[in-house]
Amino acid sequence: MIRLGLRLSVCSGREALVRVAVTAAAVALGVGLLLCALAGVNGLHAQADRVAWLDTSAQTAASTSGGSTADPLWWLYSVDQYGSQAIDRVDVAAVGPNAPVPPGVHTVPGAGEYYASPALTRLLESVPASELADRFPGRQVGTIGAAALPSPDSLVIVIGHDAHQLSRVPGAVEVRGIQQTLANCFSCQSNSGSGSGPILQWILAGAAVILFVPMLILIATASRLSAARREERFAAMRLVGATPHQVSVIAAVESSLAAVAGVAVGFAIYLVLRLLLAHVQFTGAPLAPDDLSLTGTDVLLVVIGIPIAAVASARVGLRRVRISPLGVTRRVASPPPGAMRTVPLVAGVALLAYFAVTGKPQGNGSQLVELVGGLLLILVGLMLAGPWLTKMGSRLMTARANRPATLIAGRRLLDNPRAAFRSISGLVLALFVTSAAIGALGSIVASTAQVGGSRSADTVAAQFCGLTTSCDTSNSVRSVPAGLQAELEGVPGVRTVALIHVDPSPADRMNGVGVVSCHALAKIPVIGTCAPGADVAAIGFFLGQNEAAKSPALTVWPSAGLSAASIAGLPVEAVVLATDGSPSALERARTSLVQAFPFQGPPVVVDAIGPSQLRLLAMIRNLTQVVVVASLIVAACSLAVNIAAGLSERRRPFSLLRLTGVPTAVLRRVVALESALPLLLVASVSIVVGLLAAALLLRSQLDFAFRVPGIAYWATVVFGLAASLAIIASTFPLLSRMTGPEVARTD
Amino acid sequence: MTIVSAPSGVEAGGVILEAQGLVLSFGETPALRGANLSVERGEVLAVMGPSGSGKSTLLYCLAGILTPDAGVVRFDGRRLDDRSEKERSKLRRDRFGFVFQFGQLVPELTAEENVALPLLLGGLQRAQALASARDWFERLGLEGMERHRTGEMSGGQAQRVALARGLVAQPDVLFADEPTGSLDSLNGEVVMDLLTRAARDQGTTVIIVTHEARVAAYADREVIVRDGLVSSTASATR
Repeated sequence: MIRLGLRLSVCSGREALVRVAVTAAAVALGVGLLLCALAGVNGLHAQADRVAWLDTSAQTAASTSGGSTADPLWWLYSVDQYGSQAIDRVDVAAVGPNAPVPPGVHTVPGAGEYYASPALTRLLESVPASELADRFPGRQVGTIGAAALPSPDSLVIVIGHDAHQLSRVPGAVEVRGIQQTLANCFSCQSNSGSGSGPILQWILAGAAVILFVPMLILIATASRLSAARREERFAAMRLVGATPHQVSVIAAVESSLAAVAGVAVGFAIYLVLRLLLAHVQFTGAPLAPDDLSLTGTDVLLVVIGIPIAAVASARVGLRRVRISPLGVTRRVASPPPGAMRTVPLVAGVALLAYFAVTGKPQGNGSQLVELVGGLLLILVGLMLAGPWLTKMGSRLMTARANRPATLIAGRRLLDNPRAAFRSISGLVLALFVTSAAIGALGSIVASTAQVGGSRSADTVAAQFCGLTTSCDTSNSVRSVPAGLQAELEGVPGVRTVALIHVDPSPADRMNGVGVVSCHALAKIPVIGTCAPGADVAAIGFFLGQNEAAKSPALTVWPSAGLSAASIAGLPVEAVVLATDGSPSALERARTSLVQAFPFQGPPVVVDAIGPSQLRLLAMIRNLTQVVVVASLIVAACSLAVNIAAGLSERRRPFSLLRLTGVPTAVLRRVVALESALPLLLVASVSIVVGLLAAALLLRSQLDFAFRVPGIAYWATVVFGLAASLAIIASTFPLLSRMTGPEVARTD
Repeated sequence: MTIVSAPSGVEAGGVILEAQGLVLSFGETPALRGANLSVERGEVLAVMGPSGSGKSTLLYCLAGILTPDAGVVRFDGRRLDDRSEKERSKLRRDRFGFVFQFGQLVPELTAEENVALPLLLGGLQRAQALASARDWFERLGLEGMERHRTGEMSGGQAQRVALARGLVAQPDVLFADEPTGSLDSLNGEVVMDLLTRAARDQGTTVIIVTHEARVAAYADREVIVRDGLVSSTASATR
């Protein structure tokens, strides 16, 4: 029977061969895209693994470095910034000759030496030393190799110190091994590491799922291509005595033949697309050339899994029809999707809205209910409501149809809204998740305060103790040397300098409060204002939002009950510099602060988020944009395959309509509307619900005001939709060919 | 409802469609070898002949679907064969009607929407188009079938719907290619009776391609196509 199936597939005329070839081509497209997605995800993992060493902490086991680690290494990690670019800075000091060596360098740099990444080396050479190079003590003794860089564009520096000196620096840890993979780093995030490891793992896993689902749907759709014509042939075989089992075996042979051919061609497509894929900036940082690769497991899964899935999909397709010797009849169609399908979606939105109105739920359990319950309900609700939405959209289109194309397309969609939605259901997942992510992140990033002509982004602060309760004041509190304030005020572009002193009250200090003269605070309103009548304010956390989730610019700090003169001699907790906002002034201010207060952590812009988080957010934003475009394109490919299947079913009536003078443009409109309506409808609803979820979550969890995503996001969506519509339009020549006059004569 | 007026744009009497010396080959296979034919306005003409004789090809040439390799086709005194495909498509849409053997109805549409399709293509508003379409259901004995789909109708019913679709726009010429080929004799007679009666009522010229004598018997005149030539004609008395 298998041999008969093979013979029927390839030796029973041109039509059978074309059918296998078309199905194989569609499967190949899906496989090619799937392999690209796998390679992309592998690339992201490779990129993430190379950054793992920055997460080295005191807990990192000696064995993870892979070498002899008899001597410890003092290690201090921080994230500095130049413009919008983050600079990973690692200060190290080897205690002995056998101390672990960071990747990408040959030896641990000695005191007064540093290694810089190639991109940072170029940057150091191209900008004035007062803006960057003066932050790093010593001389460059080499460049950091690619093995330690997530991307060729990464800015990384490893600075050597004297072990005795570094060991006394707050935050420095003694390590005996270098972290090698993110997977082992779940316990180290709270230490000096970059802390993005586990988050990155979740993001990559999420991106993988979002990318793979639409592609698997595409492959499943492709493997059922030409099912109607095939079923007619199977009915003829039943007439001459074939049993249902034999028909099923022949169908399986034909499907697996097309799938195997498709997988083979899919690998060729992948090799071609890989060249283009290397230029896609998944995370904003380009991947290294070797990052895009497939593992043996990937290859094995695709080579074996896709044909098995194709056979399963074909069998499922056959179960939907009853093939008798007298012909093919569709099994009793399930009732049209009802409005009850929207209940989970409405419930999910209602749950988030409830918490948005009543405020952040108390307790981790309640927050979990809101986050997981609400989002999961919405996601499942969107998938369930999709067919109903498609039905309602097509019903509206049919009711208002005055043109034949609209009428035919609307009727077809109404006939089977589930099938119309199925091919683009992967899009729901992708667009909902990415819209929610972009909506939330965009709002957080855009929350930069602007008060009285002074912007928080123009203000730089060096915080010696981080204004946190865990700070050991005996180590971190510094007094500003005489004349230093005047020197800082003399830096070109710096407008004013404010000193925040340690609160003399131990109780307040434990609560992370410093004191600042109201005269100084008035010059930097972005970090808050004094209570009326106060001479000195007790200021709390002013970098980003405070505990009350309130922007510092809007905070009125209470009076400390002290006089300005009495705090002048107190140790300094933080130095805040307001600049004219020019890039060079900001960088000079940073550099001056680093020089004045070494090892106190890089100065940061008084903004909602720090450079490390900013980099993570930029990465997520880039990734979501890639996912939006990719999922839209894949959904369009699924629609294109559906179009081909639909044309195959209707080639005779369509070709006869053309004979009677119906312009091809009318039929093109039918095809375009049948595909574009569900695509645009589902995309719009997913985006709107995603943004709504983001707005509600921001309100309940962070009390942030929601901001509609910027032009970049909408440009991405429009680009993705335009590409999708172009893919749909690419099937038009197929329409002309499949419905030519010869069809009416030969059928 | 009975329509007695002549189709728009056509004068009563005279030749409406004419073919002279039509030659057409499909690759090495000749289908027409110099066929000549003339059709009077309002006439019901049966084109007969054995399978492969070229009768369908002749019909497609007369309807402007195929362009002959040589020879001339004139419709309403103007050459048809040298017009662009776009012009010929417009002519087919606006002034010709078609009934084929099977499978011409759009499966997604209801019976009344299928009938209304030519009117919608002509730019008529949907409500008006559907109202005109519904008139045909009573005439063709299809009352109650208006909302049915193709899959819910018998072959004879579907063919009557196709007939209504061919005539609803009151074409000058109705081309019918084996209109009863997929029907039993009883249904075939019903369809032919309705077709010729409705066409005569509205003055539409009908050209029927068939190989069945009982179908040809409904025509005013018969021509026989053999080996690509219109070899003989005979007049029927109806």
